[in-house]
Amino acid sequence: MKRRLAYLLSFLLVLTLTLSACGQKTTTTAGGADVIKIGWMGSLSGDQAVWGQCEFDTVKMLIEETNAKGGLLGKTLQVVGYDTKGDPQEAVNVAKRLTGEDKVVAILGPNASGSAIPIASVLEAAKVPDIATVATNPKVTVMDGKVKPYNFRVCFIDPYQGAVVAGYAIDILKAKNAAILYDVGDDYSQGLTQFFEEYFVKKGGKIVAKEGFKTGDVDFRPQLSKIKATNPDVIFMPYFFKEVALSANQARELDIKATLLGGDGWPSEQLISMAKAAVEGAYFANHLDFDDPEVQDFKARYKAKYNKDVELNGYLVHDAFLLLVDSINRAGAADSQKIRDALETASITGITGKINIGKDTHNPEGKDAAIIKIIDGKYVFQQKYAAE
Amino acid sequence: MTQFFQQFINGLSIGSVYALMAVGYSLVYSIMNFSNFSHGGVIMFGAYFGYFLLTIYKLPFSVAFIGAALLTALMAVVIERVAYTPLRERKAPYLYFIISAMGASIFLENIIIATIGPTFRTYPEIFSKTPFKLGVLSVGRLDVLMFVTSAICLALLIYIIEYTKIGKAIRATAYNIKASALMGVNTNVIIIIVFALGGFLAGIAGVMFGMKYTVYPQIGAITLKSFIAAVFGGLGSLQGAVVGSILLGIIETFTAGYLSSQYRDLIAFALLIGVLVVRPMGLMGKATEDKA
Repeated sequence: MKRRLAYLLSFLLVLTLTLSACGQKTTTTAGGADVIKIGWMGSLSGDQAVWGQCEFDTVKMLIEETNAKGGLLGKTLQVVGYDTKGDPQEAVNVAKRLTGEDKVVAILGPNASGSAIPIASVLEAAKVPDIATVATNPKVTVMDGKVKPYNFRVCFIDPYQGAVVAGYAIDILKAKNAAILYDVGDDYSQGLTQFFEEYFVKKGGKIVAKEGFKTGDVDFRPQLSKIKATNPDVIFMPYFFKEVALSANQARELDIKATLLGGDGWPSEQLISMAKAAVEGAYFANHLDFDDPEVQDFKARYKAKYNKDVELNGYLVHDAFLLLVDSINRAGAADSQKIRDALETASITGITGKINIGKDTHNPEGKDAAIIKIIDGKYVFQQKYAAE
Repeated sequence: MTQFFQQFINGLSIGSVYALMAVGYSLVYSIMNFSNFSHGGVIMFGAYFGYFLLTIYKLPFSVAFIGAALLTALMAVVIERVAYTPLRERKAPYLYFIISAMGASIFLENIIIATIGPTFRTYPEIFSKTPFKLGVLSVGRLDVLMFVTSAICLALLIYIIEYTKIGKAIRATAYNIKASALMGVNTNVIIIIVFALGGFLAGIAGVMFGMKYTVYPQIGAITLKSFIAAVFGGLGSLQGAVVGSILLGIIETFTAGYLSSQYRDLIAFALLIGVLVVRPMGLMGKATEDKA
């Protein structure tokens, strides 16, 4: 009986191995001697599937366009893509398969920080560079103060938005005194606060109040009353839309007239439905805006090919692809190590802004963010702005 | 000085929300000697009842308000019947009641997440958000309404408990459930009445909370603070629950306003622990039994 069970189990094991081995591998363009293989990974299933699908479609479209123009270094480009299912463990498996089996020269994606962080050791062992798309967590490229040699990205990190908003407040809004209300129990909020504070002070502004609350709080009047007494020009609110709606309403209730500022945790239908009057005239920073003139050409090409709208990820993978093509050109060979070295000194202009990769961070330094103003309950693109 | 009075108003307003929630804990504790942790879930349901009566059934506010309170009272009784009666009949230890209550609380939260969804919802604007002006101070219209409603409800509750025949029976049951049963008090009915009263107030608290802030499945977590307020004031004592809640609201507000908002909970709750070390029965509690 035991033996039969063992047979059954080993049979099942073999079966699952074979099935997963011939699972969702997707390639475009037939292989050959004169091809450059690049890898892509991201979610094609699960709750992030919409974004992953858009990324993959974008990469496929750009590769077709590049090949139609004669390819790269006289060779044809080819993409091998796998589904990470949005699962960090699966991302590691996919990275192993792309580097070990498919022998790609570089990888684009994944879109999520949770998947981009654990693949570092695989990349280092195989010496293959990766360019993440929308992975905004600082730990994707830098861990414990040390840059990860093979991880790059094209999006700015979360806390950088704090610097952008601080610069915009001083340069454009001419603010002198700022108050901060932030969530003490949240990394995102703390990171934005730290960057905002440093940058605002460096540019000659003054932080007149810095008040905290805890995730789950619904009443911010004690903190806001204290902030009101310091009479700031702007209040920075680096947290998510639910708390933004509540605190904005309570601020207006206490007759605070300061301009409200925030980050990419803001945009949502809920914010407007709950606090339309309170957030009127507020500004926040985001990765890009779909109404930005510079993205219109790509948007139209994508729409013509797939008859769908591009998601945020599409724009960023577009620039990740540009960055990779630029680095392969400068490396002069489809060689992973040379591409990695070229990536470290890359400086290109993408549709989402200038991408100057920092040698010590592997992040795009001083990248443009989109500044958006809430006017009449609508999100209106103002301009691009970068914090030097 | 302006800030002092503004913070005092903020504290009173926050405290009165805690008070409405805290009396529910105290009521049940006084009769059944256990902390009814499903109370938070019941309050959350109250908020959703009010929301749906107002938005889907488009009832006038007063009708929706009372309707939500009645539905919530019914709900509290149903929970008592399902989760506690079987335990009572088997004379289970108090610990089992608490476990059952926690289970009910998790169940209530998740049934909302599974059926209605986890996103938060907003009550339609019933009262203008423009506050009253008292010189430089501002007092929200809703805050005044909440404070007045809380005061009326609590006064009514105390009147029922202290001056009516049912109240006398409740007090007798709280004092000694077995002796009261022997004296002809139908303790089963008393327990149902207590849960209904607690549920009614929970419904009112839920609707108030929803109007003032927003409605979401994790509202129950906020009631943890009102539970602490009830312990602080003396579990089992209604007056204690009210005093404890108002004090907690004011302590929290002043800690955030004058000491440090970052360390608000740390300081405020260290203070509460300090008080309980000196007076384990809470400010107005009589019994010195464990407050499990």
